[in-house]
Amino acid sequence: MSIAPIGPVGPAIGAVASPAAQGATGTGGDFAQSLTGAVDDLQQLQSTSNQLAVQAVTGNLDDIHSAVIAATRAQVTLEVAAAVRNKGIDAFNEIMRMQA
Amino acid sequence: MTFDAIGIAGTSLTVHRKWLDAIADNLANANTAAPTSGPAFRARYIEAQAGPGTSGVYVAGVREGDAAGRLVFEPDNPLADAEGYVRYPDIDLSEQMGSLIMAQRGYQANAQVVDRARTMYESALQIGRSS
Repeated sequence: MSIAPIGPVGPAIGAVASPAAQGATGTGGDFAQSLTGAVDDLQQLQSTSNQLAVQAVTGNLDDIHSAVIAATRAQVTLEVAAAVRNKGIDAFNEIMRMQA
Repeated sequence: MTFDAIGIAGTSLTVHRKWLDAIADNLANANTAAPTSGPAFRARYIEAQAGPGTSGVYVAGVREGDAAGRLVFEPDNPLADAEGYVRYPDIDLSEQMGSLIMAQRGYQANAQVVDRARTMYESALQIGRSS
């Protein structure tokens, strides 16, 4: 009975590490930018939703569903933004908990 | 488009709402008599058109029915002409009621699409949140 030799670990680590390194160098400010863009979109959706809600209560609304759809969109987008923010904070906290 | 399914269903909701408006107008004027010298009330029909790509459906225009209507012999009607005829719109009530049900069901179906899409997006947010 022979034990198969364990192959070198180096290339595997390199393969895993290289995309992360590329991402870190190439897209440094992208997370902050995309988060800011998402917040801007969210603000726009919420202001649209507010306008339509005002139109609905003042009787200037043609389509009832457009107000509800705008509110739904704003709600789902807010949940997505909150989920992304929570994931980011979780990752940050995980890194802060690291100890030598 | 941020959430396309919701937007597409929204366009269809608008189309069905306009269809409902047209049916309401047709039913409201189903018994509107007119003198034979002028046109009868013309039934309104919504012309739906698919949007480019997957952008939903839109109202391309409103088609109008026959202006001749149908001539009804009503000598007592103040609008009757010398031979006693008035013009009634050529609207079939049963056909309009069938269209009414179709418009209502179509609206309900698209409202369900909006609701289900929202539920799906929310379940996507639950992925990996078990802890």
